[in-house]
Amino acid sequence: MAEPLERLTNLLALLLETKQPITLEQIANEMIGQYPVNDSARRGSFERDKSVLRDLGVPIEQTVLGGDQAGRTAYRIDRRRYELADLELTDDERHALQLAVAAARTDDSWGQEGLWKLGVGSERPALAVAATMPTFEALPPLREALATRSIATFGYRGTDRTLEPYGLLLRDGYWYVIGRDRARNEVRTYRVDRIDGDVRVGVPSTFERPTDFDIRQVFPSDPKLLGEPENEITHAVVRVAPERALLVAAEVGDEAVVGWLADGCIDVEVPCVNREAFRSWLLGLTDNAVVIAPEGVRADVIGWLTEIADTAVGSG
Amino acid sequence: MARTGARSAHVRLRRLLVMLPWLMERGEVPLSEMATHFALSEAEVVADLELAAMCGLPPFVDELIDVFIDDGLVVAGIPRVFTRPLRLTAPEGFGLLAAGRAAMALPGAEPHGALGRALDKLATTLGDDGVVVDLVRPTLVDDVVAAVEMGERLSITYWTPARDEATERVVAPRAVFADGGNWYLLADDERSGDERCFRLDRVLAVASTGIIDAPRPFTLPNPQRWFTDDPDIDRATLLVPNDLMWMIERYPVDTVTPAAPDSVVSAVVMPVTSEQWLRRLLLRLGPTVVVSAPERWSHLAADTARSVLARYDVVSRDN
Repeated sequence: MAEPLERLTNLLALLLETKQPITLEQIANEMIGQYPVNDSARRGSFERDKSVLRDLGVPIEQTVLGGDQAGRTAYRIDRRRYELADLELTDDERHALQLAVAAARTDDSWGQEGLWKLGVGSERPALAVAATMPTFEALPPLREALATRSIATFGYRGTDRTLEPYGLLLRDGYWYVIGRDRARNEVRTYRVDRIDGDVRVGVPSTFERPTDFDIRQVFPSDPKLLGEPENEITHAVVRVAPERALLVAAEVGDEAVVGWLADGCIDVEVPCVNREAFRSWLLGLTDNAVVIAPEGVRADVIGWLTEIADTAVGSG
Repeated sequence: MARTGARSAHVRLRRLLVMLPWLMERGEVPLSEMATHFALSEAEVVADLELAAMCGLPPFVDELIDVFIDDGLVVAGIPRVFTRPLRLTAPEGFGLLAAGRAAMALPGAEPHGALGRALDKLATTLGDDGVVVDLVRPTLVDDVVAAVEMGERLSITYWTPARDEATERVVAPRAVFADGGNWYLLADDERSGDERCFRLDRVLAVASTGIIDAPRPFTLPNPQRWFTDDPDIDRATLLVPNDLMWMIERYPVDTVTPAAPDSVVSAVVMPVTSEQWLRRLLLRLGPTVVVSAPERWSHLAADTARSVLARYDVVSRDN
């Protein structure tokens, strides 16, 4: 029996070279001694090889034959679909891509695998500026779906979602996919790291992306603005202790500072549409920040803190 | 078994399919150069090429893959089947485009430079990409990057959350990087003599010193887990209801296991870089989360909540 790599390479060469689709019997005849003689063992080995090649991205086409071969499946690879088109990259463009892959630091080798195909090596220049880019298995199929206007289907919080993906956004260390949810018929945002299992990509050209779609518009830059406002309350005033005043003023921007107090405290007006995100931001300041208004938001925070304080009652 | 058995046929074939067209274009290449290019040992390159030399079968493929290594030089005649690399896969396409978008969002990127042109060319084969990378940065970042490029020492006022105090330091900046929504400065800290990472949103003020340092080689910390790689960092075990697990996901964790069989609560072991940090996390997680170990932190959440509530007693609404 041939080594797996040798058999795979031969199978690939054979399917690329054949002009007509060929059946497994013909393949086994050409590759003498490389596939098992027994029919079901042969079929099993071939199916494994075929799936390895497809995993590599090899576009194996299969057709069911007619005539005296009726019902048999035949295979071939269309060279035009197999080969990478010449991108006609110049040397400085190749170099720029190499720098980009070095600057976007990831745990995977996707970018480098792509660079090899473009003729760029593994050398890694030391860079003065870089960014960590988290990656997930769901991202490539989502990108493919949005590039080809195909429906993406995936599990999310225990439900299957059917999405017309409009865009992918990396912000604050998280990837989001934004698109029209077909079941709900509205534009929704999903966090890519919370997608369960595989993303299935449907048939190309199934939908149109709105021409005026702008992912930065749809997705507010401040998570405290996400979601539906409760009781029309959109902002809260927070008093910040002097120790944090500089930091918070720099973060929220001068226009959000609504009061400077004699003791060095500042009052800032910040969005609280998303109450959870607001609370998370506020509590990050621990005892250096207190909600001043409105009353409802202040009561929410006091209630939350009281519940936490009560967890230790009676236990020591 | 072959010595290279550790690498699967899948991985080796993928590599071979980029090696062969690359070799074909060059005809002959020093073995060492080929190993560096593909991040393999010379022995691995030789093993792959030896195997490749056995492939090829008449009559469909009348040319064998003809490769030999002569005095450290790889000489190849590749059959016309493998003259071009396989098209980019979905992960490769994503990897290149997303890296390109990220690099475009870094300080100093030129929108109409070589990278922009390369991404336009990629988009013609990969399709309209719709990938946006937003690396919002404090204005300070550009100043610090300029100092890194000049090699100029900086005087900074830095707030340390673990001790909750601001200190003055003089640092030799080496690199700036973004990670998980924050920007960091890797620098030599003059006071401690150590290399340190400073979070740029905690830098309250920057002043130039006019002192220029010679560059030195440096390594950026590992992506994402970098600040917890140190085994000396304390660990805490948190009992977290599963519907709150998403709040934990943004932080590095060592292990997540069910607290008991079929439990809706998970036991999460995670590195704790400072008690201050754990206080903030526990306040955010709320009353349903319990610290089960170490014991000294079992009342940390309640104590912290009380100290914050004390401020609400002091600060009335309309003073």
